[in-house]
Amino acid sequence: MAGNEGFLDVGGAEKSFAGHRVLNGVDIKIARGEFVSLLGPSGCGKTTLLRIVSGLMSPDQGRVTLDGKDITNTPPHLRDVGVVFQNYALFPHLSVAENVRFGLRARKVPKDQHQATIDKFLGLVHMSAFADRPVRGLSGGQQQRVAVARALAVAPKLMLLDEPFSALDRKLRENMQIELKGLLRSLGITTVLVTHDQEEALVMSDRVAVMSRGTIEQFAAPSDVYLKPKTGFVLEFVGHSTRIAGTAGPAEGDILAVDTAFGRIFVQAGYTRGSAVTLAVRPERIALGAPPVKDAVNYIDAEVKEIIFQGSRIHVLLAGPNGASAMVETSALPPGLAIGTQTTLWWRLEDTLIYPAEAQAA
Amino acid sequence: MTTKLRFDPVLLLAVPAAIYMVIVFAIPVLWLVARGFMDADGFTLSNYIKFLSEPFNWVVIGNTLRVAFWTTVVCLALGYPTAVALARSKGAVQVAMLIAIILPLSVGVVVKTFAWQIVLRRDGIVAALLVATGVWDEPKLLLFTEHGLVMGAANVFLPFMILPIYSVLKLADPNLQDAAATLGAPPVFRFFNVALPLAMPGIIGGVSIVFSLATSMYVIPSLLIGDRFQTLATLTGRAFLLMRNEALGATTATILLFLAVAIVACSALLSRGKGDSR
Repeated sequence: MAGNEGFLDVGGAEKSFAGHRVLNGVDIKIARGEFVSLLGPSGCGKTTLLRIVSGLMSPDQGRVTLDGKDITNTPPHLRDVGVVFQNYALFPHLSVAENVRFGLRARKVPKDQHQATIDKFLGLVHMSAFADRPVRGLSGGQQQRVAVARALAVAPKLMLLDEPFSALDRKLRENMQIELKGLLRSLGITTVLVTHDQEEALVMSDRVAVMSRGTIEQFAAPSDVYLKPKTGFVLEFVGHSTRIAGTAGPAEGDILAVDTAFGRIFVQAGYTRGSAVTLAVRPERIALGAPPVKDAVNYIDAEVKEIIFQGSRIHVLLAGPNGASAMVETSALPPGLAIGTQTTLWWRLEDTLIYPAEAQAA
Repeated sequence: MTTKLRFDPVLLLAVPAAIYMVIVFAIPVLWLVARGFMDADGFTLSNYIKFLSEPFNWVVIGNTLRVAFWTTVVCLALGYPTAVALARSKGAVQVAMLIAIILPLSVGVVVKTFAWQIVLRRDGIVAALLVATGVWDEPKLLLFTEHGLVMGAANVFLPFMILPIYSVLKLADPNLQDAAATLGAPPVFRFFNVALPLAMPGIIGGVSIVFSLATSMYVIPSLLIGDRFQTLATLTGRAFLLMRNEALGATTATILLFLAVAIVACSALLSRGKGDSR
């Protein structure tokens, strides 16, 4: 994806429905060949953005550019943008092969190329054996494969996936995610996935755009979104975290002391003294037991309230003074740790995240 | 593969209706059909041979089919777009449209037809409209013409076209149109390759209902076009009521029945073809 940063370029996209602002001036640039997810809760505007890119909806304001061409006012059938719909939207009156052929017929691809193209794409999604079947009897996973083959067969410049895995059960969903990602990468197709499932977004994407209330809160690589959430909303929406309310205290260099129910916690940040803040730590970044060093770490004491065994990982819920709580994720419990025991928790200074307190309400 | 037919006691619920239909419908119809194949000496085809060798009777059959055909065409041309609009509409608008479509069904055919007699007069609103728009140079009588008959009949039968199409469209996935568009299909292509095939079971249903109603209508042609223009249904009525010719009446009724059954059978066949996924 060297260069060509703005292969898909959406600028200042706004959309309102009945006076309610759904998209609030969204800008996003996606590189050629990149896999990007739009992640957010329902109503955050991600589907609206996808429909604007596909041309099924036009923005009130803003423009959409694809491969250097302004397509803001181009109708969907002239856009070269493929869509896999949430319910797959296969044509019920056509067979599997005829569904794939539909786009070829619509685009007036010469007839002698149809069969080879159908064979190729049904082969890629492992559905060749089903070519002559009606689509009615197919399982959810099979329907999705056909929908993907149908969208790919017309060689779109851009592929849009609208919550394509939400109808599949967990195991199948995980397999399909890996498989589809591999397929789209091998074809080098620029892809935008809309999802409310953070795990799906993190697993599949080169970059994730976290959306809330019609704006993009953070657009970054999955590891950055998870480890360095830019806003309180991103922190809360993606993954679990221990959150501790506090007040900014004295600063020394770029190290800020924050007074909390657990005592003083240090963080690399600059906040005005006295301002209310929220500290956060990802649960797997916290260790149980005394810290091996006292330098550049935070450590607090808490009482074990609950131990939740989840197979490969264990969640430990702890309580501190004044209703403060913490959550730790570990793969093995230290000996002697049981519900009701006191323990020390520690984490590295740089794993401490800090947000203004009011952003937490998001 | 052998599937055993097991008796389901729930089927007993249909028994009263079945008995009723046998007594008031099946037996009389069988008697009527049988009457057409009988004369004083027993079984005969002479009634049919006599009927079909009369050129006037072919005009009657032609009248019946032609009026039914045009009535169906008018109903389809007006009914399909209405059904699309109805399926797309929501809330109060949809309720209002449904009421507007279903309420006229509660007005008797005779009442409606007399109303059409007024509308189709030389000084009626249709003639006035055609003169005003320059289609006609001077007002003419539409009453007692085939055009007038088709107009009136289409008005009466329109709901029977709209409702079956609407019921099919209502269930169609709106994403299919969007999917077709993103696959590169322009609007006209989408209409012929997605919208129309999906609506086809409803269209076939509506067409077969309206066509069979229109072939067998009696009151509407009697009042809107009169005795000069005979259809199989009006001829059947005349045969029984005026001419007291049971053999003729049974013959025309049987031909009419045959046409109606043929239409229903054809449409069932067509819709089964559609149902087979292709």
